[in-house]
Amino acid sequence: MTSRDALRALLVLVVVLVLQLTVVLDIRIAGAHPDLIVGLAVAAGLAGGTERGALVGFFSGLAIDLFLPTPFGLSALVGVVVGVGAGQLVAAGVDRTNWFFVPGVAALGSAIGVIMFAVLGAVVGQPDMLTPSLGVVVGVVAVVNGALGYLLVRACNWAFGLETAGSAWHGPLVPGDRP
Amino acid sequence: MLVLVSVTLITFDERSGTHHITSGLKSVAHDVFSPLTTGVNDLLRPIGDFFAGAVHYGSLQSENQQLEATIGRLREQLNETQGLRNQLRQLDSLRDVPDPGSLPTVTAEMVNRDLSDFDADITIDKGRGQGVSVGMPVVGAGGLVGQVVQASHNTATVQLITDGASSIGVSFGPKGQSYATVNGQGPGNPLSVQYVPAQTPLHKGEIMYTSGLANGEFPANLPVGVVHSYHLTVESGAMTVTMTPLANLDQLAYVDVIQWEPPL
Repeated sequence: MTSRDALRALLVLVVVLVLQLTVVLDIRIAGAHPDLIVGLAVAAGLAGGTERGALVGFFSGLAIDLFLPTPFGLSALVGVVVGVGAGQLVAAGVDRTNWFFVPGVAALGSAIGVIMFAVLGAVVGQPDMLTPSLGVVVGVVAVVNGALGYLLVRACNWAFGLETAGSAWHGPLVPGDRP
Repeated sequence: MLVLVSVTLITFDERSGTHHITSGLKSVAHDVFSPLTTGVNDLLRPIGDFFAGAVHYGSLQSENQQLEATIGRLREQLNETQGLRNQLRQLDSLRDVPDPGSLPTVTAEMVNRDLSDFDADITIDKGRGQGVSVGMPVVGAGGLVGQVVQASHNTATVQLITDGASSIGVSFGPKGQSYATVNGQGPGNPLSVQYVPAQTPLHKGEIMYTSGLANGEFPANLPVGVVHSYHLTVESGAMTVTMTPLANLDQLAYVDVIQWEPPL
């Protein structure tokens, strides 16, 4: 990752973080609000592969950990795992030409991230992590991040300098484009 | 490698409680991002409020009328209870218990709530620079709201009484001589009242107040909530009691931070 890419990635991270701490907190669906941070980690893995997914997942998780009362590093750990997971899917050569690939992986990765956050939180002694409302939170986060999947991947493509036509990462990730 | 770093950070944070390095980092982050988030909120919230107001115009008008009627009734009650409060203040001074109404407060606006789906907390726009410290109780909307758990220079995080980590010593009964502990059970769930002995006289709607016992986390006589339900659990021989917070935690806009710190 070049210094220009790192700066762009930092800008995307700050924008997503500010959105998460402002607009997104005002959105409540069935008592839960979306989580763009875990969606960003998945999108980074999809757009940039395993290493970039891990880096963006880690630093975006650390950034949101600064604002949460949960143990420092918990979101970072979840971010690394989902970022690497999404990157591994791409590296494994999964067919990315289907229009539902990005929304599907964004939704599934986000759901796994939220469940992992709750389970690890419970393991380290945080109260109220594994409650019946966890299902609602998982559903809300998965649906919203699935819907925003293309947008987040676009932002990551721009951050990693992969947005130019003909880029190996660009073509298959936009509906209607040919690989 | 990053996984290892993350696990190390979690272990470090957990082992050292609210370690001053991580809490210092959090405080700096709040101070840096506070102007950004406030600016974005100031820019976007009026737009959202405009559309919400246009859509719900009828119901807002009716709600406004109801609120005005409620304010009138409350003013009457305030005048009626003023005399009783004076008597209570005199009695409390004899018992060496501070009257919560006489303690200095800092009024703050809520700027964010529930940063995570797993915690019940709010962020307010006052911090250490305005005299807000960790441990101070926060009241508003008719009762106890919570306690300051993190304070940066210009903002503070308040753990609501519904948070799973919240625990409050309360007193109740005709003479306030029955004691119990109220625990939060997560956002949207009723409070759980623990350690109420069997045969304790209770009634639905009874108000419980902070006990203010020695080394307590709160001063005495702050209204916490009303009894919602109770029954005797045969196995444990104790009462199972649930309580609803007196403060309407879903409609918080402004709160008062009481400048009272728990004894060390």
